[in-house]
Amino acid sequence: MRIVHFPTAHDDDGAEQAWLQQLESALDGDAQGPAAESWRELRDDVRSLAPAMSADFERELSERILERDRARVPRKLRLTRPSRPAIATAFSVAVVALVALVAVAPWRGGHAPEAEPAQHVSSGALVRAPSATATPTPTPKGSAQAAGEASPAGAAVAPSSNGPAAALGRIQQLGASVTLAVTPANVQETSNRVSRLVVRDGGFVQSSHVQVQQGRGGEATLTLRLPSEKLSAALASLEQIAPVREESQSLQDITNTYDAARQRLRDVEAERQALLRALAKATTEGEIDSLRERLAQSRGALAGAHSALEVVSRRASTAEVEVTVLGDAHAAGEGLTLHRGLHDAGRVLTVTLVVLLIAAAALVPLALLLLGLTAAVRVWRRRRREQVLGTS
Amino acid sequence: MPTPSFDEAAFNGLFHECSRDVHAYAISLLGDRAAAEDVTALAFERLYRSRRRLDRRRGTARAWLFAIARNAALDELRRRRRQPSVELEGERLGDPGSDEAFERVEQRATVRQALASLSLRERELVLLKFHGQLSHAELAKVLAISESNAGTRLHRALAHLREQCLELDRQEVA
Repeated sequence: MRIVHFPTAHDDDGAEQAWLQQLESALDGDAQGPAAESWRELRDDVRSLAPAMSADFERELSERILERDRARVPRKLRLTRPSRPAIATAFSVAVVALVALVAVAPWRGGHAPEAEPAQHVSSGALVRAPSATATPTPTPKGSAQAAGEASPAGAAVAPSSNGPAAALGRIQQLGASVTLAVTPANVQETSNRVSRLVVRDGGFVQSSHVQVQQGRGGEATLTLRLPSEKLSAALASLEQIAPVREESQSLQDITNTYDAARQRLRDVEAERQALLRALAKATTEGEIDSLRERLAQSRGALAGAHSALEVVSRRASTAEVEVTVLGDAHAAGEGLTLHRGLHDAGRVLTVTLVVLLIAAAALVPLALLLLGLTAAVRVWRRRRREQVLGTS
Repeated sequence: MPTPSFDEAAFNGLFHECSRDVHAYAISLLGDRAAAEDVTALAFERLYRSRRRLDRRRGTARAWLFAIARNAALDELRRRRRQPSVELEGERLGDPGSDEAFERVEQRATVRQALASLSLRERELVLLKFHGQLSHAELAKVLAISESNAGTRLHRALAHLREQCLELDRQEVA
């Protein structure tokens, strides 16, 4: 007769937990005694009933495991999964970089102040440079002041690389047109600042027209006259006042006009000198009267020649700048200041959030649907598996 | 949270520690050596692929492995649409001539017979418990049920096994 040693099991549910504890302790080897021994014996019996793994399969399986290890991507190329703090840090850096990029974005409206100076004609471009072969000519009295202190055919012309071309020994007239974008509420204030700026630089406001419409934008147009050598500095200052939406520069060569006016003055002066000499040699009353009449006429011609030369010199020594101040509600985001940078960053973030929101509106239901389907498939597969166990 | 500690070395360690148990569980459940080998290989393959998703707070790697093996075995059973043939190996004892060895052979024969008489669900539970050497908590994870439910099922299965053994004993005595 054989005896199957088997531990007893409690039937009441209240003792089930204790029974499970006993079983666990017995199988772990913690408990001693006949009951615990019987559990271990039963486990060993059940385990011994399973046929052993064949040596061939065991070897094959081991080889497959090793083979897979070797076949994996080389360790140095294997990407390690980044930790969450690393991802958070990378995300923060990306956001900061994005904000910084927006703040200094080169595609923004207006011009970057750092790049602008290269676009201006340098201050010396407006005065005539003495070429090596040029013959110094006396500048008529009065026109010297009008053409600027450096003007009397003495200063050099320094053409910039990007601005209107200037040439040595030429008299040129510069002009510029600038459009500033400001908020509607700042049209008047900006116009005032432009006026103050031009006065500070030695110029004046030739004309101005400011139109402000409450709540509907506004516009101001100012015609400025300022010393040509101050033009580039003035343009740079204008950019500091408000974002430049548009800017253009012009250059007109007036050398011929200037030379013609000067030659005319010379001719008139020479004629006057000749008349004076003739008057000194005159002997008859009629001859003297005739010469005095002609001298009187030549005085008028001389004044006219002086005036013409002065006008031309003034054109060369002063630059005309047309400034348009546009009141635009969208102008607040333009320019390069910390405030505007932050504003742009806010806009970028807002747009990003909106895009994410729209994406989420489309993706979240889809994701929920997929999650539901996945869960349903899992439940269905689990039930199918469990059904196999229930068929016996 | 993925467990960074479950790397290649951990996987290899688990393979050496559990491969025979997985095979024993599979062959005991399926009764087919070839199918058991397929299930064993598949279980380790799937474990390797999903090792980064292993969350040790939700169970041990061993429990994870046996859950995979169980699913693979049940899929295999469902695919074949037939009940496993319990072709468990006979006793392998060094000295069958001794009384003690004879008694062990008899005892294991009884256990084998009792095990075969259990329902597949109960047998699977017993095999999972003893071959997998899983705690009740791990067993619950593998079965995807609550711990108390797992304990109750195990209790019933072992009680049934005990009754079958006693019944077989009585028949033998009679």
